Amino acid sequence: MQEGSHLTPEFLLGGFLILAGTVAVVFPRPKTYLVRIINLELPAWGLLLLMLAYNETLALLTFGGVSAISVYILVRVLQKTEGP
Amino acid sequence: MNLLPMLVFGLLVVLGTGGTILERDPFAKLISLSLIAAGVIPFVVDRGYLDVAIALALIVPLSTFFLLMACRRDRT
Amino acid sequence: MTPEEAALTVCVVVAAYAGIRVLLERNTVKKLPFLNVCSFAVAGSIVLILPHPLTIIAAAAYFIGTTLESNAIASTYAGGIREE
Repeated sequence: MQEGSHLTPEFLLGGFLILAGTVAVVFPRPKTYLVRIINLELPAWGLLLLMLAYNETLALLTFGGVSAISVYILVRVLQKTEGP
Repeated sequence: MNLLPMLVFGLLVVLGTGGTILERDPFAKLISLSLIAAGVIPFVVDRGYLDVAIALALIVPLSTFFLLMACRRDRT
Repeated sequence: MTPEEAALTVCVVVAAYAGIRVLLERNTVKKLPFLNVCSFAVAGSIVLILPHPLTIIAAAAYFIGTTLESNAIASTYAGGIREE
């Protein structure tokens, strides 16, 4: 949707998701690392929805594949930090 | 897409966001996160990116499994 | 209203009801059946949104992925595989 307004539902939902998720990561409710990592998924979805609003197909595929690996690395770091 | 399905999937995304932020149990947070995925993937399909939708639907559960590995260590 | 639109409306109403019930439920275990219902309704509406031969593969992939995810959450909440 290049002509017309940029206020598509994808753009609005992505902006809301990325703002709310960033605030939730900075001020998590129970202040633990696990809750921070779970809340970090929210801005990832918001970024994906924002990429969808601007029709970036290759960015969508690459980001969707890499986000799972990023979560795996963060979980490994958490287990090495709090483990025995 | 018509107005009603778009409104309902947007509502699903907003409900999942509120649930993820407000819940305190990590498992309830993961359930709300799955609700966000249920809201986003129809928007990807509606734009016509079916290959992206297939890749996303197969990679999102993988991400949840990695988070569950940390939840199990946290519970016991 | 064509039959496809009627079916899409039914699927979408079921998805909205299940999504609201997931958020209103207090017990974590009782959230899981409603999450399953919501995912089934979304998988049905994915097929009806876009008439394309590849859509059925996307819906099948989403169905398999979300069922596996719900079962993994339930299995981990119940205590996991390691039960000595």
